[in-house]
Amino acid sequence: MNTDVVGRPLSRVESRLKVTGAAEYTADVRVPRLLHGFMAMSTIARGRITRIDTRAAEAAGGVVAVYTHETMPRLKQPTYRPFFKPFIPIQSPEIHHAGQPVAFVVAQTLEQAQRAAELVEVEYEETGRPLGELAMGVPFLAPSGPDGPNTFERGDVAEGMARADVRVEAEFTIPMHHHNPIEPHATTAVWKGSKVTVYETTQALGNTQHVVSEALDVPLDDVRVISRYLGGGFGSKGPVWAHTVLACAAARAVGRPVKLVLSRAHMFTSNGHRAETHQRIGIGATRDGRITALDHVSTQQVTRGDVALFNSSEPIRMLYDIPHLSNVQRTVRLDLPTQSFIRSPEACSSHAQEAALDELAHALKLDPVELRKRNWSSRNMADGEEWGSNYLRECYDRAAAKFGWSRRDPRPGSMRDGGELVGWGMATSAHTAGGRPGSGARMTFDVRGRARIQVGTHDLGTGTYTIMTQIAGEVLGIPVEDVLFELGDSAFPLSYASGASTTAPGVGTAVNRVCSAARKAVIEMAVSQPGSPLRGVPAERVDTGDGHLFDTADRRTRVSYRSVIGHGGKPLHFEVEPVDTPLGYSTGAVFVEVRVDPLLGRIRVTRVVGCYDPGTVLNRKTARSQVLGGIIWGIGFTLFEHTLVDPATARIVNPNLSGYLIPVNADVPDIQVQFIDRPDPASDALGARGFGETPMTGVTAAIANAVFHATGKRVRDLPLTQDKLL
Amino acid sequence: MPEHSRRNVLKSGGAAAAAVMAPLPDGPRPVTAPHQVRQAAQPKAVTDLTLEVNGERHRLEGVEARVTLLDALRERAGLTGAKKGCDRGECGACTVLADGRRIKACLTLAVMQDGRSITTVEGLARGERLHPVQEAFIRRDAFQCGICTPGQIMSAVACIEEGHTGSEDEIREWMSGNLCRCSCYPNIVDAVADAAKAVR
Repeated sequence: MNTDVVGRPLSRVESRLKVTGAAEYTADVRVPRLLHGFMAMSTIARGRITRIDTRAAEAAGGVVAVYTHETMPRLKQPTYRPFFKPFIPIQSPEIHHAGQPVAFVVAQTLEQAQRAAELVEVEYEETGRPLGELAMGVPFLAPSGPDGPNTFERGDVAEGMARADVRVEAEFTIPMHHHNPIEPHATTAVWKGSKVTVYETTQALGNTQHVVSEALDVPLDDVRVISRYLGGGFGSKGPVWAHTVLACAAARAVGRPVKLVLSRAHMFTSNGHRAETHQRIGIGATRDGRITALDHVSTQQVTRGDVALFNSSEPIRMLYDIPHLSNVQRTVRLDLPTQSFIRSPEACSSHAQEAALDELAHALKLDPVELRKRNWSSRNMADGEEWGSNYLRECYDRAAAKFGWSRRDPRPGSMRDGGELVGWGMATSAHTAGGRPGSGARMTFDVRGRARIQVGTHDLGTGTYTIMTQIAGEVLGIPVEDVLFELGDSAFPLSYASGASTTAPGVGTAVNRVCSAARKAVIEMAVSQPGSPLRGVPAERVDTGDGHLFDTADRRTRVSYRSVIGHGGKPLHFEVEPVDTPLGYSTGAVFVEVRVDPLLGRIRVTRVVGCYDPGTVLNRKTARSQVLGGIIWGIGFTLFEHTLVDPATARIVNPNLSGYLIPVNADVPDIQVQFIDRPDPASDALGARGFGETPMTGVTAAIANAVFHATGKRVRDLPLTQDKLL
Repeated sequence: MPEHSRRNVLKSGGAAAAAVMAPLPDGPRPVTAPHQVRQAAQPKAVTDLTLEVNGERHRLEGVEARVTLLDALRERAGLTGAKKGCDRGECGACTVLADGRRIKACLTLAVMQDGRSITTVEGLARGERLHPVQEAFIRRDAFQCGICTPGQIMSAVACIEEGHTGSEDEIREWMSGNLCRCSCYPNIVDAVADAAKAVR
C-alpha cells in the first residue's frame, strides 16, 4: 500500500468548484417550469385555527395555489425515524407551537409567493397558556425509547458518596440552541408521472427517500433524492422535516416543479434545535482524587406529542472510571417545536461533568489534569468493553506541554495582564463515533485504470469527497487524480445518515472494502494474464502503488493497472453491502486562556490548544479544519448562543442572525491543534474513527473553568454573558 | 436615468395598489374559486434594467421593484454563485462588488443597481487561472461546506483592495461581516493575508 496518500493534507477535491461558485447547492439547481413555494406560519403556540381566509393571497399577482389544512392533499404521518415531528402541519387546524406552517403558497416568483403568504388571514382560538420555559413545566421520567434507557445505574451511589472525603454538587443550565447552517433548508420537488426527484438539503438521502415515500404513498424506488453539495447541516438536515414533505405534496398537486427555501426565521421553528437543559450533578472523591461516586440528573424539553431526548449522557456513563454512578434523564413537555440533535449532542452532559470536575479539583487542591488522569479508563464504562485504542492520557500531556500549563498558578484571580484578569482552564473532549449501520459502495475500474466510486453519502463540509478519494487511492495504490468519488444521490448504494460522527468510519470502511476487492481481483488478473510481467508470481507477493502492481521480491517486475484492465478489454465492476461499524470513542484534551475585563465583565477567549486521538488522521488539513470548527462552536455555545423564548407566548423572539449571535472572525483566538494520529485497530476505515463531534465537547467547560480561574466566580448558567459576571 | 433610492423605489411600488393577476401560461388556477376577491395591495412597478455582471451585459425585463439584486442574480440572471443565507444582511453570503465596492446583494434592490458594474464570484477567475484570493482559500482550507465562500471571497478581494490587511487583527475585524458557521475563520485570515501579499 501507498502509505503517503492517507493523512496527506490534500486540498479538498471539490475546492475549485466551491471558490468559483460552480458547486451546485440545492437552492441553485435549475429546473424548467419551476414554481416557488413559501409558507405562512402560526403566530400562536397552542390552540386551533378557527378561520383561514386565502382569498387575498390567491388574488395576489402570480399566485398559483394556496394550500391550507382544508385544501392540502392528505399526507400519511411517517413512522420512519428520524421523522421526529409527531405531526405533519397543514393537515389539521391544531396548532402545537408558534411558527408552525399554516399555509403553503405556490407562485410564479419568489417575491410573489412571499407576499401572498403574508396575505393569508388566520384566526385562532387559544386553548390555554402555552409553556415555553423549562422552569414552568413538570419533569417526568419517560419510558425507554428508541434512543435507549433514560436511567443508568452502576454500583450504589449512596455507598460511593459515603466513601468520599470530598463532595461537590452543582446545577447547570444550557439554553435552547439552533444549528443555523448558512445554507437554508431547501427542497425542489420534480414529478414525472408518479415518480419524484427531490433535490434536498439532506445529511441523510435514505431518510428523505423513506419519509417522502411513506408520507406521499409512493413506492420507495420511485423517490430519488439528490444532494451533491450541502451548505452545512450540523444535525439540522439529518432528520426529515415536514416542509420537505409539504413541498413534494404541493408540487404533485400543482403539476409543476416547486422549490421551497426556508427563510432564516422559518429555520428556528422547522428543523429542530438543542433543547434547553437543566442538570444537577454531584461528585464524590477520596482525598487522593479517586472518584467514588457520581450522581447526575438532566431535565430537558420535549413537546406535548413526543418524548425523544437528544442531549444524551454518554460522557457521564462511559468516560471516567467511576465505580458508583446514577444517571437519570428527565423530560418536560413544552409548547415548542420538536427538538432534535445538534452538533455534539454529548456537549451538554460533558459541560456539567467537566465543569463539576474543575470544582472537585479545586476542592481537593489537585491539578485538574491530574484529577482526570487518575480516573481515566481504557474501557467503555457503560458496558465494560475495552476500546480499540485510547490515547487520552497522552493528549493531556501533549496539550498541557504546548499550552504551558505547568506555569499556571492555581489560585483564582492570581494571573493578570494590565487591567485584565487572565484565566487558564482545561477539560476533556470526548464523543462517541460510529456504532451505526454502515454503508454500501459501488466501484467501476475503467480500462485506463481510473476508479469511479459511488456512495449515497454526504459531504457537509466535513471532507467526505476528499478523504474517500484518499482512502481509495491508498488502498488501490493509484494516484488520487485517478479516483473519482461521487456522492449525494439515492440511486447510489446508500450510507447511513451523515451524523453522529459515522461517515468516516462507515463510508471509509465501505470504500476500503470495495477497493480491496478490486485490488485483489486485478492482482489475480495480473498473475494469470498471458504476457503479464507478473504472470506466475504468487498473488500474495504482489503489492500496488503509483498506479502499478509489482512483485515485492523484485520491485522492477511490475505492470500498470491500466495495462492489466486494458488487456481484459472491459471495465470491472464491484459492489459491497453495508456492514455495521463498531462504536468508537474519540477523545482529546483542550486548554483555554481567557481574559476578563473586571469592570465590564467582558470575556474574550485568547488562546486554545487541543490535542486529539481520532485514530488515523485521514487528511491533516480537513481534520484540523474540523477541529477549528468544533472549538469555535464551543466558544459560541459558551459565550453567545441563546435562542430566547418569550415566556408569555412561547414564541422565539430572536429568529435571525443579529439576535442569535454566532461567532464572527473577530471573536476567534489563536487555536493550535495536535493529533496523536495512531490507527485504532478496531476500525476497518484504515484505523480512522469518527471524530467530527469530539472537538466541540469540553471547550464549553474549559472556558467556564478558565473564567473561574480568572475571576473566582462560577457561572453555571450559559451563555456566560457580561451581566452574569458583574 | 433617474437615481433610485431604496425609499423612493419602495414608495412608488406600494403606491400602485391595483391587483394585477399575472398570466399563468401553463399553471393551474388557484384552488379556491376567486369569489369576491378583496383588492390586494400589489407592487406594480416593473421595470427593465441592465446589469453589467462580470463584464457581461444582462438585460433583465419586467423586474418588479421589490426584487433584490441577489434574487435578480440568482433567479433571473442564472448566476447562483452569490448565496442567500439570511436575506437580511446579517450573514454576508451574498456579498458582491458593485462598481468595485463590496455590498450585500440581499440589502439592495436590483433597480437601484441599474447600469452598475457587478462582480460576483463567477467573475474572478481569468479562464483557468484562479484569482489569488481563490487560490489562497483552497491552499489554506478556508472553507468547509463552501456556502459562505463566495461571499467571503468577494469580501476578501475588497478587504485587500481597501488596504485592511495590515495585521491579522485588522483582517479579523474587516472580515467579520461574513459569517462562517463551519468556522474556518483562522484559515480565512491566513488566506486573506497570503492573498494580500500575492496581489501586491
